[in-house]
Amino acid sequence: MANTRQGVSRRGWLKALGAASAAAAAGQIFGKAGAAAQEPSAPQPAPEFTGPGANPYWTSPGQFAMYPQKAPLILLTDRPVQLETPRHYFLSTLTPNDAFFVRWHLPMIPNAVDLKEWRLRVEGNVERPLTLSFSELATRFKSVSIAAVNQCSGNSRSRLQPRVAGGQWGNGAMGSASWTGVKLREVLDAAGVKSGSVQVQFEGLDKGLGPKGLGSNRFIKSLDLTNPVIDMCVVALAMNDEPLPMLNGFPARLVVPGYFATYWMKSLSFIRVLDAPDDNFWMKAGYRIPDTPRGNTTPDDMKSGKVATVPINLMPVRSFLISPDGTAKIPAGLPTRLRGIAFSGYGGVKKVEASLDNGVNWSECQLGPDAGTYSFRTWWFNWTPKAAGKFQVAIRATDTKGNIQPDEGVWNPGGYLWNKIERQEIVVGDAS
Amino acid sequence: MHRRKWYLVAVIALSILASRGLYADFRAGDYTQAGTGTIRQALPAAPSTDAAYDAGQYPIYYPELVPGDGKDDVENNCELCHSPRYITMQPPLPAQAWADEVTKMRKTFGASIPEDTAQKIIQYLGSHYTPETRKR
Repeated sequence: MANTRQGVSRRGWLKALGAASAAAAAGQIFGKAGAAAQEPSAPQPAPEFTGPGANPYWTSPGQFAMYPQKAPLILLTDRPVQLETPRHYFLSTLTPNDAFFVRWHLPMIPNAVDLKEWRLRVEGNVERPLTLSFSELATRFKSVSIAAVNQCSGNSRSRLQPRVAGGQWGNGAMGSASWTGVKLREVLDAAGVKSGSVQVQFEGLDKGLGPKGLGSNRFIKSLDLTNPVIDMCVVALAMNDEPLPMLNGFPARLVVPGYFATYWMKSLSFIRVLDAPDDNFWMKAGYRIPDTPRGNTTPDDMKSGKVATVPINLMPVRSFLISPDGTAKIPAGLPTRLRGIAFSGYGGVKKVEASLDNGVNWSECQLGPDAGTYSFRTWWFNWTPKAAGKFQVAIRATDTKGNIQPDEGVWNPGGYLWNKIERQEIVVGDAS
Repeated sequence: MHRRKWYLVAVIALSILASRGLYADFRAGDYTQAGTGTIRQALPAAPSTDAAYDAGQYPIYYPELVPGDGKDDVENNCELCHSPRYITMQPPLPAQAWADEVTKMRKTFGASIPEDTAQKIIQYLGSHYTPETRKR
């Protein structure tokens, strides 16, 4: 009882004190100096949702949440788990494992794996079906590493207008890691792909509670055996030279360089060679994009039923300003460095440009070290703002295939392929 | 307890002093109740040396759905496969979009929700989670 009362009065005191001192301080210093800007206040919470307009924030506005083997990340959903990476983690070529975004489709996701029992099975249309333990995988095949970006197909979905249902990601459903494991091709060769095979299917340990045969029962994805990316695929046993976090697909994960994350099967446990195209929900209905330039269409055209679709595939070129992030103003005259990352699934970043006037004039940025064609590429641009003002900074990248980021958004019912030029307002204040 | 009291008295005194404008060129020592929360750190894990790799249970952060007719139907049906955060995460959607979602869950994903219950769920979502009606 006494404790409770003390607790309350303590809080009361703190509140009163805060209000009084803030008011007094504002009056004393900013009021008299005549430079009052805004009511001083402790950080206020972001809204619980955005819309029906586009999400104006860099990430989704959700709360931070704690998950096993993870730093506090932005919560989208808790069952199944979807977590977004905060902006500041994207200053480097590789994204830390504990900050890497998380996206599962079905509720029965693995909490624990016993490597005494766990096996990667290679089956289907093969000469010699294989049952590989973790240690066999690690020792029987040559070890390879590749740095590659893993980006959710729906990254930035909350930018679309009109908004579409689905995971309401800001820009943080992406990450770049150094993936170490064995070549998918070597594993397939060990099993011996029979002639007449057309696709290879991947399945992990997650399961759904829906009826058999439906997308809600299991999550499976397939790639054409003739797709050149098959030779680049890696069955990763390590991520940034550490074991994969459980939520990122321990003990093994498929890496499909340049491709959206939907193909990067987590907790990979079945590799199945198919002699007919996969017509399961996740290939035939889910993760499909309009067969139009940039995958762009309109709600009306979709409704009319005349828009042909294809499975989502390569990631279009994107770039991001990470710092400064607009949360603090910059004194005029201070040498400042704009920093961020860029990438393209089509292979390599050729050029990143910055505009300080909302996209009218562009200057080429410096590129950081090349960690690999499919990795994040860091960039920076030195800038000393001369006078106070508000600057609309825009960043755009061009990839080695000559694709340049457009200044138009995209719309399709899945909320995929967003790669519009990003903008950030930077406020420069007087320095004297 | 006493120590804490003195700490508070000291903070208050300092804040008042600071707020009196001891210096004209900056503001300092100004604290207030935060609108945002704090997050407790997790204890370090204590793994075993055997072949079991266990991340433990995944936490549920259960959101509050708007009270109203049909809320129970949402909780009793939708939550078999996913948490209600799949609803609260969405932007405000037109009533028709919510109806389409419920239909997708039933027809495409095979959720065994009877027609009359489905209608109640559609009614509930279309009443509280549209651009016109959504408050939180």
